[in-house]
Amino acid sequence: MPPDVSVRDLVKHYVVPERAGGLRASFRSVLRRKHRLVRAVDGISFQVDRGEVVGFLGPNGAGKTTALKVLSGLLHPTDGEVDVLGFTPWDRRAEYLSRITLIMGQRQQLFWDLPAADSFLVNKAVFGIDDAVYTRTVDLLTELLDLGDLLTKPVRQLSLGERMKVELAAGLLHGPRVLFLDEPTIGLDVTMQQRIREFVTAYNAETGATVLLTSHYMADVKALARRVIVIDKGQLLYDGALDGLVRRYAPHKTITVHLERETDLPDLNGQAEILSVEGLQVTVRAGKDDAPEVTGRLLTQLPIADLSVEDPPLEEVIDQVFRGEGP
Amino acid sequence: MRITRIVAAFLRAAVLKETAYRAELVGNLFRSLTGIVVAIGGLAVVFSHTSDLSGWKLEQAMVLMGVYYLVQGIVQTALSPSLNEVVQEVRKGTFDYVLLKPVPSLLLSSTRRFVVWHVADVILGGTVIAVGLIRLEAQITVPMAAVFVAVMIGAVAIVFSIWLALTTLVFWFVRVENITMIFQLFFDTGRYPVEIYPFWLRQLLTFVFPVAFITTVPAQTITGREPLVAIWLAPLVGALALLAAARFWRIGLSRYTSASS
Repeated sequence: MPPDVSVRDLVKHYVVPERAGGLRASFRSVLRRKHRLVRAVDGISFQVDRGEVVGFLGPNGAGKTTALKVLSGLLHPTDGEVDVLGFTPWDRRAEYLSRITLIMGQRQQLFWDLPAADSFLVNKAVFGIDDAVYTRTVDLLTELLDLGDLLTKPVRQLSLGERMKVELAAGLLHGPRVLFLDEPTIGLDVTMQQRIREFVTAYNAETGATVLLTSHYMADVKALARRVIVIDKGQLLYDGALDGLVRRYAPHKTITVHLERETDLPDLNGQAEILSVEGLQVTVRAGKDDAPEVTGRLLTQLPIADLSVEDPPLEEVIDQVFRGEGP
Repeated sequence: MRITRIVAAFLRAAVLKETAYRAELVGNLFRSLTGIVVAIGGLAVVFSHTSDLSGWKLEQAMVLMGVYYLVQGIVQTALSPSLNEVVQEVRKGTFDYVLLKPVPSLLLSSTRRFVVWHVADVILGGTVIAVGLIRLEAQITVPMAAVFVAVMIGAVAIVFSIWLALTTLVFWFVRVENITMIFQLFFDTGRYPVEIYPFWLRQLLTFVFPVAFITTVPAQTITGREPLVAIWLAPLVGALALLAAARFWRIGLSRYTSASS
């Protein structure tokens, strides 16, 4: 079976006007504009198979959204080849657009003054959805997203989280096979983020749809994607399993010990660095290869009540990747 | 058929939305009515000093005024709300959702919004035309009525095309409200027959900014006045304007899809 999404050497450059701050600079820019080339995406390649959930990671301006927009046909790339479900996205064929969806956490499509149900009917007509299929889909989405009576309230009366739920539903009415989700949990509280994550997992399991999502929140990625693609400055830094990312980019282990009583700390031979001492809790960081030896030394030389060895938190790892540290 | 269903769905949503704000509905009806009464009053003042305005009698000028309101009503009910929405959406970035729908973007962009209460202008305009024609004791034959309808369709097509072309500029400039103001300025000249304007302006309003085809020509066809230009030019100009505007839209769109972020 060919992959659902196949991207080869994708390049997207923009020319943007540029000007310094201040009144004089802005007058000058009216007369003569300076332009600057932005390499939003600069040669990335990857494939996504049917039913996979893949997380796109990267700092602001890394090119995540641009990549999703090219994939969903909104932008023409500067160079490269993209194939999604056998279509070239930017041809924007009706058959293609009926099989995909792009949901943007920061951009709403529902009528503000009307209940979402009315916007749904418009989408039903626009996508030419059968009555029977429509009813079934709305029922499924209502159950998975716990929509209850949200559909009959004017959208402007909904909370941010409730609005995101109905936006998601609106984007999925036509039963797309490939979902592009751009920051679907942005601005939501932790509980609502959790709900949205559970929904994406359940929807993926229920329908077998392929999902590509971007997020700032590591929790999203940890919960949803077994595979991550890390991009920064338009380039692909990593593509693979989430734990592989940690192994590759986190060459350290964090060792935390709880002491039985206060005592002097042993000499660690420069193999480990003491990160903090808080009362009886000591945290040290050691290179991955040195970790067993350091652990052994701590165990023999200190009165230890408890000890744990952990990978550093994902946030730290990602931060390291973006700062260009590590291998 | 699908198109009819889509438009019906949008129309339904529009009606629901308007009725959600009933006070606004009443206020707007009142405004329409006042506008047309003042306009007719203005005509009456002009004709109290003369019985002939560049060859137009009061009743003929009334018919022309009626045509102006009819066209304006159609445009403001069905066409300009959708196109204004495009301007807003391009700025907010939600225009992306239009491009994600499996329907031609121009169709969706021009049929999505309706401001139902502007139908009042259509009804009032039609009434003024009817009153003018009755007072003229005009004999309207079926072929005459058919020609009038064809010319009116041409007129609406011209207005829509100009509006669409100005809206399309949003893909380059993002802020285009001022440009649509200029359009309204030109369109307002259509309340009077183009014959009253100086030669140079009349040429401008006929061949460059074809306001003459929007009100003067339709009013001429039905009041039996000597036509300013060949009647068949009106639908032709309308069709050409539509084609050109649609072409321009595609160019603007390709700029959007290659330049926006």
